[in-house]
Formats: sequence, structure tokens, C-alpha cells
Amino acid sequence: MLGDILTPDLFASALRMATPLALAAIGGTLCERSGVVNIALEGIMLIGAFAAAAAGLATGSGWLGLLAAIAAGVAVSAIHAFSSINLKSDQVVSGTAINILALGVTGFLMELLYGHPGTTDPVPQMLRPVFHFPNGGEGVLGTVWTWINSIVFSHTPIVYLAIAVAVIAQWAMYRTRWGLRLRALGEHPRAADTVGINVSRGRWIAVMMSGALGGMAGANLVLEQVGSFTENMTNGRGFIALAANIFGRWTPVGSYLASLLFGFADALQIKLQLFRAEIDIPPQFFLMLPYVLTVVVLAGVIGRAVSPAAVGVPYEKG
Amino acid sequence: MSVLELREITKVFPGVVANDHVSLSLEEGEIIALLGENGAGKTTLMNVVYGLLSCDGGELLVDGRPVKIKSPRHAIDLGIGMVHQHFMLVQPLTVTENIVLGHEPARFGVIDFATARKKVLEISARYGLKVDPDSRIMDLSVGMQQRVEILKALYQGARILILDEPTAVLTPQEVRELFAVVRSLVNEGLSVVFITHKLEEVMAVADRILVMRDGRLVGETRPSDTDTVGLARMMVGRDVVLRVEKAPRACGDTVLEVDGLHVKDDRGLEAVRGVALSVRGGEIVAIAGVDGNGQREIVESIVGLRKPTSGTIRLKGEDITHASARSSIEAGVSHIPEDRHRRGLILEFTIAENLMLGDHRLAPYSTRGLMRPTAVTAMAKRRIVDYDVRTPSERVLASALSGGNQQKVVVAREIGRDPELLVAAQPTRGLDVGAIEFVHRQILKERDSGKAVLLVSLELEEISALADRILVIYEGRIVKEFAAGEADDETLGFYMTGGGGSKLAPETGATGARGEGER
Ligand SMILES: Nc1ncnc2c1ncn2[C@@H]1O[C@H](COP(=O)(O)OP(=O)(O)O)[C@@H](O)[C@H]1O
Ligand SMILES: [Mg+2]
Repeated sequence: MLGDILTPDLFASALRMATPLALAAIGGTLCERSGVVNIALEGIMLIGAFAAAAAGLATGSGWLGLLAAIAAGVAVSAIHAFSSINLKSDQVVSGTAINILALGVTGFLMELLYGHPGTTDPVPQMLRPVFHFPNGGEGVLGTVWTWINSIVFSHTPIVYLAIAVAVIAQWAMYRTRWGLRLRALGEHPRAADTVGINVSRGRWIAVMMSGALGGMAGANLVLEQVGSFTENMTNGRGFIALAANIFGRWTPVGSYLASLLFGFADALQIKLQLFRAEIDIPPQFFLMLPYVLTVVVLAGVIGRAVSPAAVGVPYEKG
Repeated sequence: MSVLELREITKVFPGVVANDHVSLSLEEGEIIALLGENGAGKTTLMNVVYGLLSCDGGELLVDGRPVKIKSPRHAIDLGIGMVHQHFMLVQPLTVTENIVLGHEPARFGVIDFATARKKVLEISARYGLKVDPDSRIMDLSVGMQQRVEILKALYQGARILILDEPTAVLTPQEVRELFAVVRSLVNEGLSVVFITHKLEEVMAVADRILVMRDGRLVGETRPSDTDTVGLARMMVGRDVVLRVEKAPRACGDTVLEVDGLHVKDDRGLEAVRGVALSVRGGEIVAIAGVDGNGQREIVESIVGLRKPTSGTIRLKGEDITHASARSSIEAGVSHIPEDRHRRGLILEFTIAENLMLGDHRLAPYSTRGLMRPTAVTAMAKRRIVDYDVRTPSERVLASALSGGNQQKVVVAREIGRDPELLVAAQPTRGLDVGAIEFVHRQILKERDSGKAVLLVSLELEEISALADRILVIYEGRIVKEFAAGEADDETLGFYMTGGGGSKLAPETGATGARGEGER
């Protein structure tokens, strides 16, 4: 039976499941490195998902759906940036407010645009896998190829985009001027200020980048996984992403790898449900897996992980 | 022509005039000292010059040209550099990253780390400020961090260097090195503003001394025209006793006895490695050492804030090794903590509430779980008078007091409890001469009334003013013991920095041979 569970598509599915988590987690990384806590990622992702569905339905284009999701993510994150950076309000409160707002707004817009709650019609065009190589072939080589093809070449655009984002963000954070300044902002904004770095601007940019990535995560859910929007479809992924960010020690690649772990738990959970007849365990138990993993991982890691020193603290000049 | 001139600079904070029409000038190649008590307005004035604060009136001239400095970036562009009282260094970043931050050599936004590193090494060689460009700031000593701050200003092209209380955190050796650095900078054509409230330093380093009090410039003089007593009078506005009188010691029974103490620090590393010490009634035992050599962990173990890994602590024969903070207070241990904001006070509480903390569950302050406000108020009023806390009322929040008055509240509470043992950790940190005099008097009064005092201080002056016995701590061990007056600052500093094994050994040679023979 183990052979039936550990198939190539389990791992491919892990990669797919990890994608929205990873995008949001990297968004969280950038945001927190600049000194702003972003628990609004859940709501940003949800609004991104709705925007992707709405634009997809209205225009018929998946790509325009993605653009709309990014734009919506940036717009929502701007609310968070304004209240955290300009109004210096409590960032957790602001984030929570946005999460509640996102639930309400998407539900309300469902009614307004489509006349019913629940789930939208399927979008006419989803984002399709980038490559189309046939599986299989004979013998060992054929099996190896099937594995490679499933795990590496079977994916939709945003899955590859997420990997690229992780690698580029990691490089940028440690090699570029922007990255150095970002790291300084979250640790000691006053030090950054005294060498002439604009703290507010740096934080605004980081928060909006996290909004764009959160929006992209929502687009992935709608345009590459589900095909339609359902109320509260993010289902806590924004929070798991924040856990992945911590587990990944506030680095983009770390966030990606941690998301992969959570994605794997999710994929495994789905897979195991197929074997409900053989393994006599209630399905709710499997559904719980990713969340239990989150708690376990955080309990093991959180004491030792060191967050950016100034995260969550509004910057007061003078 | 002056490189920097301030004309009638005024800066008002809500309720405080921090700078009141201050005018001064700095000549090329000159070191001026800005001397004043805490709260005199020195930092504010220099923050205005550095563009961190905007002023409410007055004029700034750089190289004779009037300028409006709106941001630190602008100040840097004008050749002004500032080393802040609290370092502006990003702890997890490397030395190089910190130095180039904000002015990174880069191509298309990608930092050229090789060039950056090379430039850092160049400047470091040119001014004799040795650093490892690849270390992380958090792994460096305070003195080294300060060096990085100075390098940062030089890298940014500073011609005018402002040093805000640069010696507050340094050992005597490091202070001497800093003075040498400052002189070499001046020889290279820089001009320096040196902020401090320590009188000896001013005499040692300044070409010209400007004294500030209550936001105003109250005097200008030169080291050759004055002495520390004269400066103190100018600074405080009255005669100050720089060194309080000390009666001969009359020792009683042993009060505190610590044996074989091992304690871990927050990172789980062994910070105290087998310390034995005792304090008798009527004596002040001082632990001298550079910050971070285990003093904090010893103090926290004694007052019940940290669990030792092994060893015993006895108070009048009673084992208090594992006592909680509460039972240690009940046993008769009082504690003036090194950080009055984090541990000494609850800033959001009133003075009265702060004065009662720790005794709040006892009569008369509370009975059967209910507070007795009249008793608390009466006690607070009495202590405010006894300990000379300058405040309009006992209902004022602790956060509204100046540092000196906050410390008086802590001292009033801890001594007012009438303890058997007073543990005073850096009791005058950040205080000015007037407040220091007061706190020292209170500590001596405790001793003279037969109580035991354990003093931890980084200030050798304080140690030699108060201590009957001096224990020198280095890397978690007591490496040397002196009776009062037996060792001068040089000798103490020598043992504090690791004795014979240290690179910082004094060049006098007189003490060089004493490196061996500690226990
Ligand atoms: N940001 C601020 N807001 C309000 N008051 C301030 C601020 N900074 C300093 N002050 C007040 O201004 C006065 C001067 O402070 P400061 O310049 O720090 O003194 P010094 O550096 O000489 O110790 C003090 O009374 C202080 O409480
Ligand atoms: Mg100051």
C-alpha cells in the first residue's frame, strides 16, 4: 500500500499545495523583515482569490485574473501599510481587521455580483500546465522519467513563479542594496534613518510586495487549483504561511522549504483520504494533519527562532 | 572660519524647552566638549545639527554658509557625522554592511561587497581603527562597536564628528584608546564635538569647554582655566561634593555568603563559573568588571530572579539559593537593578504605586487582599520628602520623571524597606553628578547603619568612592581582591580585562608583572 501512497503525483501535489503557502510566506518574510507584522495575509489572499475569479469570469482570461489578484492584493496591503506605518496603529489589530473585512467584503460582493452566496461559476480559462511531455516509457528509465516529469514538469505557471520568487528574493535580500536596507529596517529602523534611509518608504514597499505575493497566492488557488471562488476558501492558509515564514527563519528560501513541508502534509492528507476504506480512521483526522504539523513545528521552533528585532513596532522619528 | 556655527538654536518639546537660544561655534581641527547634566539638552542640540530633529528657531552655518538641515542624509552630505549615545548599529549585520549602509557601493542596485570591504579596510588602516570587516556586530565588544560607529561616520566622509557620551560604556583602557583616536582624527583635519557629563574627560580631551544647563549655554572655558570643581559648579549651578565622605568601616557579622556559584546566562552559556564571596554587615563589597562578565547573573541569582546551576547563597546563615524574588525580598534582600526602566520601575504606574511594589501585599499597604490607598499615599509622601524626589505629587507617572528622580524612587523603595542586604547594580548609571552624590550618600548611610551592601559597577570612580573591598570579575570568575585604596584605576582595569593575557595591558609596565598569582 505504501507504494500506492508514495506516488509521483503525491510529490507533485505537495509542490502545488505548497505554492500558495510559499508565496504568502515569502510575502510575510519581506514584510516582517521591514519591521511590519502582516497577519492580514489570510485576508489578502482571500481578496486576491476573489479578484482572480471575478476578473477571470468577466474577461475570460486567466492571465488577467492573475493581474487583478495582484492588484487587489496590493490595494488591500496598502490599507495595512497606511494604518501600521502612517497611523502607527497596532499591526496585529490592523491585520485582524483586514482579515474580517476580507471575509465580509468577498461575501458581500458574491451576493452583489452573482446573486448568491457560496461558490462562483467556474472561471472559463484556468492557467494550464506549462509543459506537456508524455509520461512513461518502458523499464527503469521510463519510471525515472515519469517521476521527473510529474514532479518537475507537470506544473502550472504560478508554481514555477513561486520557486523563482523564492530564489530571486533570497538573492536580492542578501546581495542588493534594497535587501541590505530591508534587513536594517526590521532590526533597527533608527539606525537606518540616521544613515539617510527613508523608513516609511522602505516599509511601504515591503508591505505592498507582500500584498502582491498574497494576491498571487489567492490567484493560484482559484486559477490553478480549484477553478472557482468559494467563500473563505483560503481556510487559514495565510496563518500557516506565517508559521512557514517563522520556520524558515525569515528567509525566502527557508519560507519556501517550510511551505513545502506543509504542502506535503496537505497532499498526504488528501491522498490518505482515498484509502479511507483500508485505513479505518475518520477523514477529519487527516484534515487536521497540516494544522497539527503547524502547531508542532512552531512549538519546537519558536523559542529558538529570532525574529527581526523591531518587528511590530511603529517607527517614531526624533 | 568656523566649520560649524549654531546661532540662537531653540528647540521646544511639549512642556520642555530643550534648547534655549544656544549659540556656539566649532573651528577646524578643534575638539570642543559639550558638558552638562542629563537632560541639559546636549543630545537634542546635536540631533538638530544632525537633521534628526528640526529646530523651532535659530540658524545653522556650515563652513560659513547658512544651511537648513532637514535629514541625516543632508547632514552627512554636508560632512557631519554623529556617533549616537545608543549605537545605531544593526546587530545581525556585519561590520562592513553596517558601515556602508545607506551609501553602498553598487552596480545596478547589486552591492559590490569586495569594494565595500576594501574601503572599510582602507579607512580602518588610515585612522588606526582596527576592526574585522566580516564580524557580526553582535559578536563585538562595546568598544569595538563604537569603533565601527566612528568608521561609519568616516566612511560617509565626515569632517565634523559628533560623539554623544562616547565613554559611558567603555573601560578605562578603551577610554584612553578613544582619546588617542580622537586626537589622531583631529590631526587629520577633522573637528570634533565631544558630549559628556564626566568632568575628568573634559579636562583630558577638550580644547574648549561649553557647559549647558536646563537647555541654555551657561559657560565657556578652557581646561587650563578651570578644574573639575569649577566645572561641576558651572554644570549643576551649585557646589557639589564630587566624592562623598566615608566613615571608617565597622564590620559586623557575615550577612551574605555565596559559595561555588555557577550560573548560566540567557543563551544557556555558563556566565558565572564558581564565584565565592561574602559581605558582612557594615561593609560595601564592590564587584568591578567590564560589562557582561557575569555580574548580571550573580546579582540575579542573589535576588531570586535567576536559578543558579550549582552553588549556595546564604543570607545570615539561611539558605536562599533557590528563593524566588518574593521570598528573597521577605528574607531581607533589596535590589537596585541595573536597568531602572525594565526592572526597577513600572513606568506606567504612579510614583506611589512604584514606591509600594514588592511590599504591596503587606500591611499597612493592603489588608485581606484590598489596597489601603491612604496608607500608600502617606508612605509615598513621606518617602518623596525623605529621598528628595522632585515631583509635583505622588500621583505623577514614573515615566514623567527625569532619570535621576526615577532612580531616587527606586532607591527610596529598596532602602525604605529596611533590608539586611542591599544589592545595588550600577546604581548611578546614566545619572549626573548631583544625583550620583545623592545615591552615594544613601548607600553609605545603609552601610553606616550596619547593613551589608553588594555593589556592582562599571564605573571605577564609583567603586573607589564607595567600596570597602573590591572584587574584580573577569569571565565569570573573581580574579582578584583588593582592599579599599589598595589599587588604582589602572591596576583594576588591568585585571578587569583579563590580566596578563590581555592585549589591552597598560603600557606603564608598573602593573605588568602582576598578571600571575590570582586564585
Ligand atoms: N523626543 C522628546 N520628546 C519630548 N521631550 C524630549 C525628547 N527628547 C528629549 N526631551 C527632553 O528634552 C530635554 C533634553 O534632553 P536631552 O537632549 O536628551 O538631554 P541630554 O542629552 O543633555 O541628557 C530633557 O528634558 C528631555 O526630557
Ligand atoms: Mg544625551
